[in-house]
Order: sequence, then C-alpha cells, then structure tokens
Amino acid sequence: MSQVVTLEQLKKLAADKLSAGARVVAPVVDGGLVSFKEISDAAQATFAPQVRVQNSIKEFFFPKHEVIFTFVRKGNDVEVIDAPDFEDDQIIIGARPCDAAALPILDPLFGWDYQDRFYQQRRAKTTVVTFACKETDAHCFCAAVDGGPDNQAGSDAMLFDLGDGSFEVRTFTDKGAALFAGIATESDKTGSACAPPTCDFDVEQVAVWITENFGSPEWEKLSLRCVGCGACAYVCPTCHCFDIVDEGSYSKGQRVKNWDACQAGMFTLHASGHNPRSTQGKRQRQRLTHKFSIYPGKFGPYLCTGCGNCSRSCGASFGVRPALETLNADVVQNQED
Amino acid sequence: MENIYKPDAMEVLEVTQETADVKRVRIWFRDPEKAAEFKFNIGQFGLYSVFGVGESTFNICCSNSKKYIEFCFRKTGRVTERMWDVEPGDTIGFRGPYGNSYPMKEWEGKNLVFVAGGIAMPPIRCAIQYALENREKYGKITIVYGARTVGDLVCKSELDEWAKYPNVDVLKTVDPGGETPDWDGRVGFVPTVLGEAGVSGDNSVALVVGPPIMIKFSLPVLEKSGFSDDAIFTSLENRMKCGLGKCGRCNCGSVYVCKEGPVFTLADMKELPDDF
Amino acid sequence: MENQLRNAIRKLLEEKTVDVAIGYGRVGVGGAVGAVFVTDPNEVDRLVWNAECRQNLAVHLLRPEVKALGKPAIVVKGCDARAVVVLANEGQIERENVVVVGVVCEGIQGADASGVATGTLLDKCVTCVEHAAQNVDILIGDAAKAAELDAANAPNAKTAGKQAKLAALLQKTPEERFQYWRDEFSRCVRCHACRQSCPLCYCNRCVADKNRPTRIDTSATLKGNFAWNILRAFHLAGRCVGCGACSAACPAGIDLDLLNLTLANAADEQFGYVAGKELGAAPLIGTYAENDKEEFIR
Repeated sequence: MSQVVTLEQLKKLAADKLSAGARVVAPVVDGGLVSFKEISDAAQATFAPQVRVQNSIKEFFFPKHEVIFTFVRKGNDVEVIDAPDFEDDQIIIGARPCDAAALPILDPLFGWDYQDRFYQQRRAKTTVVTFACKETDAHCFCAAVDGGPDNQAGSDAMLFDLGDGSFEVRTFTDKGAALFAGIATESDKTGSACAPPTCDFDVEQVAVWITENFGSPEWEKLSLRCVGCGACAYVCPTCHCFDIVDEGSYSKGQRVKNWDACQAGMFTLHASGHNPRSTQGKRQRQRLTHKFSIYPGKFGPYLCTGCGNCSRSCGASFGVRPALETLNADVVQNQED
Repeated sequence: MENIYKPDAMEVLEVTQETADVKRVRIWFRDPEKAAEFKFNIGQFGLYSVFGVGESTFNICCSNSKKYIEFCFRKTGRVTERMWDVEPGDTIGFRGPYGNSYPMKEWEGKNLVFVAGGIAMPPIRCAIQYALENREKYGKITIVYGARTVGDLVCKSELDEWAKYPNVDVLKTVDPGGETPDWDGRVGFVPTVLGEAGVSGDNSVALVVGPPIMIKFSLPVLEKSGFSDDAIFTSLENRMKCGLGKCGRCNCGSVYVCKEGPVFTLADMKELPDDF
Repeated sequence: MENQLRNAIRKLLEEKTVDVAIGYGRVGVGGAVGAVFVTDPNEVDRLVWNAECRQNLAVHLLRPEVKALGKPAIVVKGCDARAVVVLANEGQIERENVVVVGVVCEGIQGADASGVATGTLLDKCVTCVEHAAQNVDILIGDAAKAAELDAANAPNAKTAGKQAKLAALLQKTPEERFQYWRDEFSRCVRCHACRQSCPLCYCNRCVADKNRPTRIDTSATLKGNFAWNILRAFHLAGRCVGCGACSAACPAGIDLDLLNLTLANAADEQFGYVAGKELGAAPLIGTYAENDKEEFIR
C-alpha cells in the first residue's frame, strides 16, 4: 500500500500552513522563469516537478543577505544588538532532490566546531518536501555524484507525480511524517522517478586528477572562457562562501553576511595588494578542488549534487559538468599509466 | 544559540604609534564577565572591528599573562584607515581567539631563535614576551629583527629591554641604506645577520615570520645551521572573513589557515600547495 | 561558411599573423556553444559557426589570461563588432593589434532554460541591420545575403523586438514601472555576471568593488540592487552596443537590455549617436558640440 495526496490537498496544506503562520516556499512560475520563492498565497505556487529553476533552496537556509547584528554607538561605548532568532516554521514544498541533497552536505560545514546559528536554526525549523524528478536535461549529472532523481538525502518527504492530479507520498523523517499525517490516504498506486541522467565520465577519476594536479597548466587553459562572475556559485545549492561587511554609519548600523564567490578576482585580494589567486585558472582550480577534493577530504561528500544549475546559468557556457567533461577528455583519459 | 559572528565590545586602553603607518592598540573587555572568562594561547589571532566600517584579522601580539590584549596594524585598507583614528576610551569589536598556537610547552628546555622582518614582529612578539616571562623554562634566546629602514622597525624600545635579559641576544638590523646617523644596530639583510648570529639547530627551534623573500633566504641559513623542517615554525596570513572555517577564502589547498593555522612548521608548509 | 571561417583562421595562425583565435566552439563533450581559444592551426576544426553563437566574445579581448596568449584574432557578429569598435575608440585595444574576423550572421536563436535553442530569433536580431559585421579585417559569409536581411529589418528597426518591449514598458505608469523593476531586481543576487560578460565593463576596479568609501551597498537588497543596476546602465550610456550579453548572462533572468536600450535610444535621439558604428568616433560622454541644445555646456 502507498500513501497518496491530491494536488488540492497539497494546496490546502500550503494554505493551512500559511494561515498557521509558517513560511511556505514553493516553485513559482513567472513567464519562462521558475523560482523558489516564499509565497503568501498557495495559488502562487506551481506544485509540479521542476528541472530548471533559476535559484536553489539554499537561500532559505543561508540567505544571500543576512543581518548578523546591529549596533548603536552610545558615547564611547557601542551597544551590539544580536539579530533575532529564527523562530518560524518553514516548509519547502517542491524542491528538487538535488536541492535537498545539498543540506546534509552543508550541515557539517556550518557545524564544524563553531555552530552557525543562522543556518542551524533554519535547518531545525524547516521541513523539506521534494518532488521526484520526471525528466532530466543535458546539465543534470546527479547520478554521477551519488545522487539520483529520487535521492532521499535531505528530504523529509518526497512526492511522486502520478499524472492524475495526485502524488504518492513517501516520508523519510518524523518531520515529513508529521506534515502529511491525516492528509495522505491509502492507495495501491505507486509513483516512480524518471531514469537517472547519463554521464559518460567517472567523477571519481576526475577527482583524483584534480587532487593530484594542483600545479598543472591545464587549469589556466580550462578557465580561459570563464569571465569571473559569481553566477555559478550563487545558483549552486552547495556553494557557501560569504563575505562579512558593515553597513550604515559610524554611529548606527549593521554587520551583514553576504554571499561571495571564489571566481571573483577580489575574493582573496589582500589589503597589501598581494593576491594568492591572481588568475582565473587559480580561481577555477579553487572552485573545482574545493568541490571534488578539499570538501570530500574534510567532510566526506563531494560539494556538488549534480543539479546542473551552474552550467544552466553560465553566460559563458561553462560550469561544473563542462569543466569535468573537459578535464576528463583532455587530461584524465590521456594519462599515461 | 550563540551568535559566532557577534564581537565583544572592547575598550581601547592605549594606542602607540610604532612607525609612520603602524600602530599598536591595547584593548580589554568592557564586560567584566567576558574579561574573567577570556583565555588565549600564544600565536592565536582575532578579528578586530571598527563598528560601521568592518573587521580585520590580526594576531594577538602580547603574552597571555596580562589583563589586556594587544594587536598591531598597518594603515592599508578600509578598516585600518579608520582604526588609525581610535583613541583610548573608544570602543572596538573583538572576536576570538581563533586558530592554533605556538607549542610553547613543547619548546620548553630548548633554545629559541626568533626571526622577524618589518611588520611581522607582532606575531613573534607574543612568543618573545611569553618566553621572557617564563625565562627559566627556555634556553638561549636569539632575536633577529630587521626592517627596510630604522623608521620601519616596530617595538623598537622593547628590543633594548629584551636584550637586558640573561642569555638573550638581540640582533637588530636595517637594510643597507635604511640606517640613520644614530643607528646603533647592524646594517644588512635579515638572512645575512641570521647567518652571523651563530645559531645552531641543536635542541633549538626557530620561529620565522616576515615577507616571503626574507623567509625564502632565511630558510637555507637555518637548514645549514642544523634546523630540521619540524623545528622551523612560521605564522601565515591570508585574507579571512569569518575566522571560523566557513567563509571559504583563507584555504591553501585543503588547509584552512584560520583553523588549522596560522602556525605551521616548515614540514607542514612543504605539504601545502602554492596557494598563498 | 564554417569551413571558410576555419580556413581563414588556419591561415592566420599558420602565417603567425596572430597567436590565438578567439572563436565559438563546443564546450565540454558535445556541449553548448561557448568561447574557444585556438592557438594551433591544426585545431581550427574546434571552431563552429551556427545560430547558437550567442556570446559576445569581445569580452575576452581585455582579460589578462587571454592577453597573455599573444596577438588575437576574434570572431564577431555585427553586434559584437560594434563592441570592438568602442574598445578601440576608448583606447582599450590597439585596433591594428587585433585581427577582427566578422561573420555574416543571419540571426541568433534564443535558448530555453536548459540552453536548448528555441528556434525563435533573439529580440536584438529582429531589429538588426548589421547582418554583416562592420569595421572588420576579414568578412566571412555572403555580404549580399546580409544586405537583403538588413533591408528586410530596416523598416522595423526602431519599433520591433526589444524596442517593442521597451515601448510597452514605457506605456505603463511610473508606479507600474517601478513595481516592475522592484520585482526584477528582487531576484538580483549581485553575481556581477552582467558586468563580467560585458566587453565594455572593463574598469580595473569597478565602483561596485570599491570600499574606500563604499558607494554601492554590496548587499543584494533592493537598495543595493537598484543602485548597482542603475549605476551600471548609466556607465554604459552612449557606450552600450546592445549585444545583450548582460541579459543573457543574468542567472536571475533580469531584462537588463531594457535599461541599456533606454539610454542608447536617448543617445541616438538627443545626439544622433550610435555607439560602435564608426571607428575613430569620439566617445559621446567625452565630447560636446557647439550646437548642443543644453546651454550649460556651450
């Protein structure tokens, strides 16, 4: 037996959560663009599996801009006022499995000795419901990085589109089960995801090359087409680098945490003028090394879910998959044994 | 849950102008409870902020026996330009201490060789102060400190104080052409002066911090004197924002300078990729 | 035409007229069309020419990593060629040190969110009257065909395509337009893909990266995003050639073209100035005319 909900029930679930004061995030279709957005009305959402979304659900755990405290100068003293705790319930309905998979990957980073309260509180208060994928495109390569169209990692529950206005619900956590308790009904219908995307190179082999070839001239060659913007990092569900800056005046203001990106030349520029990553090749090397060598070395998984957001968004037709493909074709397969 | 990015308000106790563009600032917690809890190890760093302007990373440059902490900065960027104007009584932000530290315990019983160039004296000063405060625990102490000109030397008056301790050699030097008529130190580059200092690697450790060129030419001198790669230490700096191993910019390959550093041995350094 | 292009580039590389050819090619294995950098005459087969050659490769002319490869040849469409002209007019390149290989472009197709060609021409192509790239050293393709296409587009050049979208936006009330830009800029993540993809955003240190003092909030808030996007548009007034690289690169799908087109139209209407049309023309912002209608400048 399976558990099933109808589209109407899903909309009602969103509406009920909204009226109970929760934050609800869902895919919103606007022209040709699909965005994950916080909605104020269940009718704004499109409850259907998505492949091409212009952002990831990362921003609901690690926002692009976040105030970490405010301050007021009082004579010689400064009063530092902590940012409020994140106390709302948050429900994300309609994430992709490759979005959700980023969460367990990021958890150890934000809890590595020092707990990043901003991430951890949102993580604790959020329930993630994903749609199993019904299609993939040329940018998808989840299956090559331990994921798949119905990968459960990071999902509290997953919906399988049955094609008749209803969805099979599979719950994986207490949070997921609680969300659908009393809503889902028993059925004999079961859903399934699409076939995993194909990928004709072995990520592990390329990762080994990346680890062993820090000084290779290939990096500069590989990155010539990169124009050094931050699009790939900002649409990536796992990229987590940030900047800390002060805004306001000397007497009153705030310190904020903003997304930052390793492809920008300014990222590592020292005040002295020295820049350890002075060329795009060094910066691209950092990006790929971080994802496929440094991060797995420290925390286990690749810092990549194979979602393809980077290459879909890249104005220069680059991104992780094209980069791995190029390295595989140009150097990995040409290595002498 | 604690906010790891929130600094403590610190009172500025004293500001000393070291050179034309370097100042040393002494600060302490405004909150007595925080002051009572605070501890750090020699060689650790902190993030210091001018509220409304931003944060910068500096080593804690004094020993940990005091009821204050000190840091040195050079006026070079947005934060340090504004930091230049702070006066005693003002408030600045501090969070830390972060990173690893010099193994002062392991160094006990050994001869210590400190080699510093220019603005890099502060990250060594904390270790010198500590060693002199615990003078009986360490063997011979040799301090080689140089700068381009006499005007670029920081902690000038302290150099002479340190030289008064028993079994401490202080060799201060300036690059050729950087001397003044009343200069009582040497004239020559740090590696040369280090070579003349007659240090030996036997039961000794060296702490070398300075510009890359100084380090590059000092290492062969130390190696020739018998220092092994495990006995040569340095303190790295890289651009940092969080200091907590999260913001993703201070790493050299797989090593996060903010967490696994800033203190590395030469043996560690040789394992690091060329990313700094 | 593709073979003609490859032969021309092969000759340039073989005769060592240039060290590198910046052209279009497939990225990765069977991937999308993007920039390729060919230095070996035996590798010119990597070059492609088709309706998916969307990017403006002129952005690579000033990148230090590309400059390090030596004297370049660059493949340009009509719109891109005008960016090369502006770079030369603004003293950013020495025109004689670049071999500009123009192509006759019959129009570029749009792409869906997966990058798959839609079969529909881009807005800029609907109003294009430079199907044959101008001010080039070598032209590849059928110039007669280009002239035909130009003539077909000419009657609607100032009304169709992007101009029609802009006109529709300008029909709205100021409040509605403000709401439109609020919605658009709310998605801006400040990745600066617009700037980095733009051949004419070449400042060594962009005002958005300056922090002594900070003139534009680096935060991706509405305040910071409005400041950034409007400021960038103004910095491109009288300079933007309408290649659409910024809009195409924007991961948030913001139609930045509309801002730039407003200012390009103003430059044309007020001063009869079209950026990148004429090699050797003085920059609009850097000149004034005695018959300028504004009194303060005369």
